[in-house]
Amino acid sequence: MLFPTVQYMLFFLAVLVIAWSLYRYRETHKAFLLAASYLFYGFWNWAYVPLLFGISLYSGFVAQRIQDSEASWTKKRWLIAGVMVCLATLGYYKYTAFALTTLLTMWGRFAPPPAIPISSPLLPLGVSFFVFHAISLLGDSYRGKLKERVKLLDVLLYVSFFPQLIAGPILRASRFLPQLAERRNPNTLRVNRAFLLIVGGLFKKVIISNMLATRLVEPVFAVPQSYGGWDTLLAIYGYAAQIYCDFSGYTDIAIGCALLLGYKFPRNFNAPYTAVSPQDFWRRWHISLSTWLRDYLYIPLGGSRKGKLRTYINLMVTMLLGGLWHGAAWTFVVWGGLHGLYLVVHRLWARVRWQPLARMRATAAWRWASRLLLFHAVCAGWIFFRASSFEIAFTMFQRLAVPGAATLATGPILLVLFLGLAGQYMPTRWRNGLELEMGMWPALVRGAALAMAISAIEFLGPSGVAPFIYFQF
Amino acid sequence: MRDRGLIQTTRQLFLLLAGFAIAGVLLESGGLANWAQGLEIGPLRTVAVPVTQAVQSAVQPLGLGAIRKGTLENLARVGWSDDSALTARVNNEESAGAGESATASKETQRADTHGPTPVKTPKHSEHALGAATPLAADVPVTMELPQLPEAEPGKPRVVALAGDSMMAVGLSAELLRQAAGDKNLHFVKAYRSGTGLARPEVFNWMEQYPAMIGSAKPDVVIVAIGANDGQGFVVDGKVLKCGSDEWRAVYQQRLADYLAMVEADGARVVWMALPPMRIPVYNAKIAMINRIAYTVVSQNPQATWWNPVRYIGDASGRFREFTTLSDGKTIRVRATDGIHLSDEGAGLVTPMLLKWLDPPTPMQQASAPAATQESVHATEAPTHEDGGGARQPQGRGHSKGQPQPDGGL
Repeated sequence: MLFPTVQYMLFFLAVLVIAWSLYRYRETHKAFLLAASYLFYGFWNWAYVPLLFGISLYSGFVAQRIQDSEASWTKKRWLIAGVMVCLATLGYYKYTAFALTTLLTMWGRFAPPPAIPISSPLLPLGVSFFVFHAISLLGDSYRGKLKERVKLLDVLLYVSFFPQLIAGPILRASRFLPQLAERRNPNTLRVNRAFLLIVGGLFKKVIISNMLATRLVEPVFAVPQSYGGWDTLLAIYGYAAQIYCDFSGYTDIAIGCALLLGYKFPRNFNAPYTAVSPQDFWRRWHISLSTWLRDYLYIPLGGSRKGKLRTYINLMVTMLLGGLWHGAAWTFVVWGGLHGLYLVVHRLWARVRWQPLARMRATAAWRWASRLLLFHAVCAGWIFFRASSFEIAFTMFQRLAVPGAATLATGPILLVLFLGLAGQYMPTRWRNGLELEMGMWPALVRGAALAMAISAIEFLGPSGVAPFIYFQF
Repeated sequence: MRDRGLIQTTRQLFLLLAGFAIAGVLLESGGLANWAQGLEIGPLRTVAVPVTQAVQSAVQPLGLGAIRKGTLENLARVGWSDDSALTARVNNEESAGAGESATASKETQRADTHGPTPVKTPKHSEHALGAATPLAADVPVTMELPQLPEAEPGKPRVVALAGDSMMAVGLSAELLRQAAGDKNLHFVKAYRSGTGLARPEVFNWMEQYPAMIGSAKPDVVIVAIGANDGQGFVVDGKVLKCGSDEWRAVYQQRLADYLAMVEADGARVVWMALPPMRIPVYNAKIAMINRIAYTVVSQNPQATWWNPVRYIGDASGRFREFTTLSDGKTIRVRATDGIHLSDEGAGLVTPMLLKWLDPPTPMQQASAPAATQESVHATEAPTHEDGGGARQPQGRGHSKGQPQPDGGL
C-alpha cells in the first residue's frame, strides 16, 4: 500500500478516526495501532509479518534482559546476542545473493565455479529500516537511555509503526518510547503542520519525482549512449531532484501522518542541496540514518577520538557500510566510498589555516562556490547510486562530453526540475506563515482546502504511482 | 483539562475530515469512480464500484466533470500530460481545427513535416460470452525466427518495442543499449509498466498503442505482455473468474485484437513467451497465459512465437535466478522480484534478436572472431553456446560470456 493511493487514504482515514476514538484507552489505542501496522505491512506480503513480529519481539525481550542485568558484561553479552541476530537477519535477506555471486565470480576467474544452485530470499519490504529500529532499541537500552523498563507492546509498535515502517525516518527508541508511555496533551497537536507536510510530500513525490523519473531520468540512465551531453547533465540533475523529492516526500508524508495520530517523528531532511560542505550535507540528508550511523557505528569505532588517521579510516568504514546498507551492489559501495572520500578530503582541507584563505571562506561568494561544488560532487555520487552497473555509470560520465541538443528539456520538465532543486531555498517562514494563517480558518474550510490541494496534485501528476525509491532498501 | 482538550481536538479533526470528504467527493467523484473500476475483482471492488458510481451520478449535474476534462486537455496541449492517447487526440483536434482555415496542400505539408498523424483508434471486438477455442497443450520452446525481407537501402528498419513491464524492465533498455549507434535500426517505444490486455477499462492498449507509435510504421513489433493479466474481469456486468472458459474466450479475443492491431500495415510480430516465474501460484497463471497467447499467435502467419526459456530458465525450463557464464562470471538472470528479467538476464537474449533484426554483413562476419562465427544463426534452434553472434554492438553486450550448457548453478 503506497502513500499516494486511494487505498492508503481510506486506510489512514479509518485508522485516524478509530485511533482518536480510542485515545483515552492507551493500551487499546496502542494495540489498535499495532494491528493497523501489521495490516499495512500485510498488504504487501503477509508471509513476512511473522518476521517483523519476531524481530520486534526478540529485540524487546533482549532489551528487557539488558535493562534487568546489573553486571556490565552481562549487558554486553545480551547486546551482542541481540545485535548479531538482527544483523544476521539483515545479512541473510539482503546480502546472501550478493556475497555468493561475488564469491563465485571471483572463483570463476581461476577455475570453473562449483555447480551449486543459489537463489536469494525475497527481500522483505523495509527490512533495513525495521532491523535498524531493533538495533537502536538494543543500543539505547545498553547505554541506559531508556528511563523505564520497556514494555513489549510498546516495542512491537515502535518497530512496526506504519508511517515509518517501510522507509523511515529511523526513530530512536529513546525518543519514541516515551511518547508511547505518556499521555500527550491533544491541544499540542499541530494539525495544520501535518497537512502542509502531507500536501508538500505528495507534491514532491507525485508531481516532481514521478515526472522527472519517467520523462527524464529513466530514459537517459537506461540508454545513455543515445543522449548527448546536455541531456545527460539534465538527467543527472534530474535524478538529484528526483531522489530528494521522492525520499523527502515520503518522509514528509510519514511525519505528517504520525503527527495527526499524535506522535512526533524527527526531521529527516533539511534542504540538503544548500549544504556548503560534505559534513553539512550529511547533517541535512537522511538525517535519521546519518545520525544512526554516527551513534551506532562511527562512535563505537572510535570516532575522532583516536587520532587523525583513525578518524579518516572510521569515516571511510562508516560511509562504505552506509553505502552497502542502501543496496547489495558494488555501485552502492562506490557511492558510499565517494562520500567517505569527500568527508576525509574536506577534513584535510578544513585544517588549512592560511589567513587569506580563512578570510575568503567567510565570504558569500565562497559559500555559493562551495555549494555549487558540493552539489556537483553529490551528483557524481548519484550517478553510481542510480546506475544499474558500472558500465552505465561510466557511460554517463563519458556522455557528458558529447555534444548534442537537449532533446528532453521541455517546459514542464524544466519547471519541475527547477522546483525540485530551487524549492530547497524556500524560506521556512513561508510555511510557518501559512500554518499560522490556516489556523484561523474554520475546520471545515481547512478540510476542503486539503481536498483541493490533493485533487490538484492528482490532476497534475503522471498516471500510475511509482514505488518510492527507498522502498527497495 | 486534558479531556476537554481531547474532545475539542477530536471535534476539530472530525470537522476537518468532513470538509475534506465533502470537497474530495465533489472534486474527485470521477477519479474515485475510475479508481474503483481499476481495482482487482474482489469484495472491495464489489462495494466500491456502485458506491462511487452513485456518488458520481449525484455530482454530475454540477458540471465539475467538464471542468476536469477541459483542464486535462489543456495540460495535454502544453505537453504536461503523459497520457499518449489524450495528447494524440488533443493534437488531432488542433490540427483538424487548423486545417479548416488552411488550404489542402498546406495541411498535407504540415502533417508530413511537423504535425501529428491523425491516430486511428481500433476497438476491441464485441465479446460474446462463450467457450474459448481449444488451447494448445503446451507452448513450444522455440527460438526460430523467419527471415525478414531485406531492408530498403539507406532506410532503417523500424522496430516497435511493445508490452507491459516485461518489456519495460530490463529487455527494452538492453535492446536499446546494444543497438545504440546502429543506423540500420530505429526503435519506437510502445510499452508501459503496470498494464495488460485483461483490463481495457484500466488501460486500453487499443487506444494507447496507436498514440504511442504516432506516425511511425513499424516493420517489426517485439511484444512482451501478459504478466499482469492473471486476474478476473467484468464483462457485461458479469464477473469472469481468471481461468474460467468464459474468461479465456474473452481474453483470447482481446489478445487477438491487440495482435491484429500491432501487425497492421504488414508489421512482422515477434511475441515473446513469458518466462517462468519464481512464485509457483503465479507461475501457473503465467503458463496459462502463455498457452492462450501461443494459441492465438500460432494461427497468425505474420506473428512468430519466440520462447527463449532455455536461456532464461534452467536446463528443464524452470525458473532460474542466477547463472554462470562461460567466462566464469556469475550473473543475476532475473530481477529481485522474481518476475522481470534483470539487465544482465535480458542481455542473454537480446543479441539474438538484434542479429535477426540487423544481420551482420559478410564483411562483418569475416572480421568477427572465430568463436562467434561458429555460432548458429538466430533462425536455427539455439544451443547454449549460441547467443553472441557476429554483431558488434556499440552498447554493452555479453559477448564475453554465455550461459553454461547445463544451466550453470
